[in-house]
This record gives sequence, structure tokens and C-alpha cells, in this order.
Amino acid sequence: MTKILFSDKLDNCVERWKKAGFSVIGPVQRNNISTYAAVERAAELDLGLILTERSIKELFFPQSEPMLQYTIKKDSIETKDFLPPSGQRIIFGARPCDASGMAIDDPLFGWDYKDEYWFQRRNESVIVTIACTQSDDFCMCTSLKLAPDSTKGSDILLRPLENKRGWLVEEITDRGRDAFKAIADIVQESADTAAPLAVVEKKFDLDRSVAWLQNPENFESRFWKEISMRCIGCASCTFLCPTCHCFDIQDEGDTYSGMRRKNWDSCSFALFTMHTSGHNPRSTQSARWRQRIMHKFNYFPGKFSVNSCSGCGRCSRQCPVDMGITETLQEISKLSQ
Amino acid sequence: MSIEEQYRTRAKELLAGGAVKMVIGYGKGTTGERRRPIFITSPDEVERLVLDEACITNLSGYLVSEGLLSDEKRVAVFLRPEGVRAVNILAAESQLDSDQLVIFGFDVVGNEIKALKGIHVEEFADVIESLKESAPGVAKELLLEKIESMSPQERFSYWQGEFAKCIKCYACRQACPMCYCRRCIVDSNQPQWVNTSSHSLGNFEWNIVRAFHLSGRCVECGNCDRACPVNIPLRLINHRMAEEVLGTFDHFAGTSKTQEPVLASFKKDDSETFIL
Repeated sequence: MTKILFSDKLDNCVERWKKAGFSVIGPVQRNNISTYAAVERAAELDLGLILTERSIKELFFPQSEPMLQYTIKKDSIETKDFLPPSGQRIIFGARPCDASGMAIDDPLFGWDYKDEYWFQRRNESVIVTIACTQSDDFCMCTSLKLAPDSTKGSDILLRPLENKRGWLVEEITDRGRDAFKAIADIVQESADTAAPLAVVEKKFDLDRSVAWLQNPENFESRFWKEISMRCIGCASCTFLCPTCHCFDIQDEGDTYSGMRRKNWDSCSFALFTMHTSGHNPRSTQSARWRQRIMHKFNYFPGKFSVNSCSGCGRCSRQCPVDMGITETLQEISKLSQ
Repeated sequence: MSIEEQYRTRAKELLAGGAVKMVIGYGKGTTGERRRPIFITSPDEVERLVLDEACITNLSGYLVSEGLLSDEKRVAVFLRPEGVRAVNILAAESQLDSDQLVIFGFDVVGNEIKALKGIHVEEFADVIESLKESAPGVAKELLLEKIESMSPQERFSYWQGEFAKCIKCYACRQACPMCYCRRCIVDSNQPQWVNTSSHSLGNFEWNIVRAFHLSGRCVECGNCDRACPVNIPLRLINHRMAEEVLGTFDHFAGTSKTQEPVLASFKKDDSETFIL
């Protein structure tokens, strides 16, 4: 006998969680885009999506957020700090790749300076992940040594039932256990079994690719130019990526008043590394694409012992010119044979 | 012989004889339905070229890649009529010399691929002229009709909702053959003319600036619309502006390589209703 959450009871859960002070967020189709958003009722959730087009990172690291407001008066300067609005949240129906992505970024945001924007939201969120029973041509979690039922980054893992009537509940963290206390009487014991997981074919040999990237001789390889020739230099891959975390701090306003904001930035842009002198150490798109791959699979793991990729596949799925991490690492795997 | 095979043969001859240094075309993509831009420099690689109804992307933007045409060698490129129009504009705006190009013209009619005769942009003048003639009669997309029937307030909130999705990834700009500036106005940060934030003001600024910059220049290839990762129907804005320019100035973007830019030229009989 295992714990089961029946899907016809989900609305009661949403109601119960809201009463307990949580806001409930989940995958929805809104305004012709699939994304994670707050819902009032369970019926608003779209739990049949393989993966939302926009990633879960926006819930922890929004594309633009205020940090500081300033007003300069004749003989005084006033400032006001901003932190994210506080509130406990349940993120219901995340995918394992998205949840893993958040855990991957934790050491980055907590490495030297503890990013209070990130950690406030992380500490106030319960991630209830649903294991995948479907995948598409771009899913690649298994190539990253993750799986359609990885628990990394999740507080609760739900496994869809074979009879499609609900989910088998696995409590992963204390935070998840606590959140499920609010619905303890809704969760039932049953002998129902979980549906088979999605089959996600392994697309490249990660270890072999990483070894090739670590070899300094390959930094100047012709490969980089060839693989990235069609890259148009937009930030679609980095902005949709759950683990890409670069940001820029901008002051908007004038000498007398304004707002300091934290905005997403991308290594795909030429401006990202442009010096004030006009010199750009990454002057070509191939150097920028190399940076993205090296950062994810060489520098980041060198520092934090984990690859900065959870295999969601959004970079390839939504690339305007059909590029992405999968193709690049596949080609590198071949080179290093 | 299929058009695909004919063009492969021609590409092979051009590369083998040294007439062109590169062929920019389409190759197989990650999935069966996808095609991706490919760059062929050796006659042995022409088998990778694919030409079918999935070859939609306008490849003309690659022609202004830094350094590509600076050695005066020729480059061959697969172009639909929209692509040829884009090349005309790029030539008219002094961004390239169209004599350096060998065009592999084609069009997709339904599910059929049709070859377009010609090598130089001038030879496609009739095709483009007929597109101009038929433009006013082309049935409007339902969504555009719906938006046009809205009140100004409703229309504003519609676009507000759409632009709220914008993440300022600039995929629209990067995919657009007309957005060739080495440094875009939004990337100019001394001073920072346009906010970089993608809050509602920033998103409006960006999308409206782009719409204006494309008025009278957009060839409606749809690259921006397909590139947008958050599904903003950008084609509608550009289509509406193209309609306006055609109606007001009888200007159809990209009819020839000497066509004057409509918003940067003056004619005595220009309508002045918008000035006073």
C-alpha cells in the first residue's frame, strides 16, 4: 500500500493549501504560451504538457526585478531597498528537469555572496514534481545522468498512476512533508501502481564530451566555428534555460531619481563582454557559443562539481535555427571517439 | 530531375569551378519536419542540401555576416521571393553588393516546390512586381481582422498582453535580415537610450521601436514571428505597417536594388496628411 493523491481531489488540495497560506503555482497555457503561473483552481493547471515553453527559473529569478530606488534631493539622498514580496508557495506539477535546474543553481547563488532574492524565493517554495511519462525528441535528461523521475531539487515527487486517476506520492524533503500535512486526509492509501516512465534515449556520452572540453588544446578547435556558424546570436536558449543565471544590474532614471534593477543577461550577446575601450574578448558568435558550452560543462562543474544543464532540451527545442546543446555535445562525443 | 537535384548539381558545379566560395542553403534538422541553415564550401558536401516545403527560413540575413562578402568572392544562396526582396533592400541600403550573389530562387506553392528562374536579383523583378500587384487582395489573417475590429482601448490591452510575454531575447532582431546594425540602439549604453529591462515600458519601447524601423522595409518573411520563443504574433504588426506603407506611398519593400527607402526619401506628390 502506498500513498496516493487522486486527481479528482486536486481542487480540494488547492483550496486547502490556499487556506494554509500558500499560493499555488503550476504549468498553465495562457496567452498562447505555456508557463508556470499562479492558479485559483486545479482546473487551470495543464498537467498534460510534456514541458512548459518557459522554464521554472522565472519563479526564482525573474527576467527583471527592482533592487533599489533612489531619490536625490537638495541636501539628502533617499534610498529604498526591494526584496521579493514574501509568501509561501507550492509549485505543483514541475518537471524533474526544471526542479533539478533550481538545485543546480543553488551553489552558484550561494557561493560567495548569498543572493537574497534567490534564496528568499527558494526557502518559500515547495516544489511538487510530477515524473514524466511522455517525452519528445528534444528531452535529454538521461544524457545528463538525470532521469524522468529524478528527485533532485524536488520536495515531493509524484508518479502518475497507470490508471491515470492520480499520482503516487513520494515525500523527499521535510518541507514537502510539511506542505502535505495540510492535505494529509486527502492523500489515501491504495495499491494502484505507477505508470511506466517516459523513455528518454541517451543522446551523447557526457563523460567523453566533458573530457574533450577539458582538454585545453580544443579551446581553439575549428569545431567551434563550424558548429555555431548558423547561430544568430539571440538569447532564446539562455533565457529559456532553467540553469542559465547571468544578470546585469542597470540603473534606470536620471540624476535625481531612479530605480536599480536586476535583469537577465546572456553570453550570446556581443555586448555581454564588450569593454568600455570597445575591445571585445569574445568578438565572434563562435567564441560566445563556446563560452556557453564551456561554462556549462567545464567551468561550472570545475567550481561546483555539477554540470549546469538538467537536460530539459529547451535550447534545442526552441532555437530559431535548430541548434542547441544536444547537437553540440553529440558532435563533441563523435570528435573524441 | 527534381528541383532539389537540379540545385545540388548547380551548387556542385559552382563550387568545383570556384565560381562561388560558399552555398548557403537548407539541410536536415533535428526532427523530420525541421530544416536548418547550412553552409557548403566543398563540392563533396552538396548532397547535404535539402529543398522542400519545410525550407521556410529567409537565409538572406547570413549574407551580411561580418566578413563574408568582404573578399569580393561570390556566394550562392537559396532564396524565396521574400529573400530576394530582402537582398534588394540590403543592396539599396549599401549593405552588400548583389553582384556578388548567385541566387537559387524557389517558392513554395502549397506543398509544391517551384523553381524561380534567374541568378541575379534583377531577374526576379517580375515575380516581385506580381506580388505587389496581388498584395492588396490577399486575404487577411483572421487574428488580424479580429484585432482591427477592436476599439483602440481593446487593441492596446491586446498588445499589452502580448508584449508582457516579451523576454527581450532579441530573437526577432537577430532573425531579421533587415536588423543588420552591428550595434542596435538598445545596445547603445553610453548613454542608455532605451531601457534594457523587460518590464512593460521596456517591452513596449522595444517592440514599437522595431515596428517603426521595419516600416517600409519588412518583406514579411516571417523569420521574427517564427523565432519568437514566447509566441508574440509579430508578423501581424509588420504586416499592418506594410499595408499602411503600400496604401499611403504605393511602396512595396524590396522591388529593386535601387529602390529608395520610403521613410528616408521625399517625393513632391507624397501625401502630407500625416504632417498636418
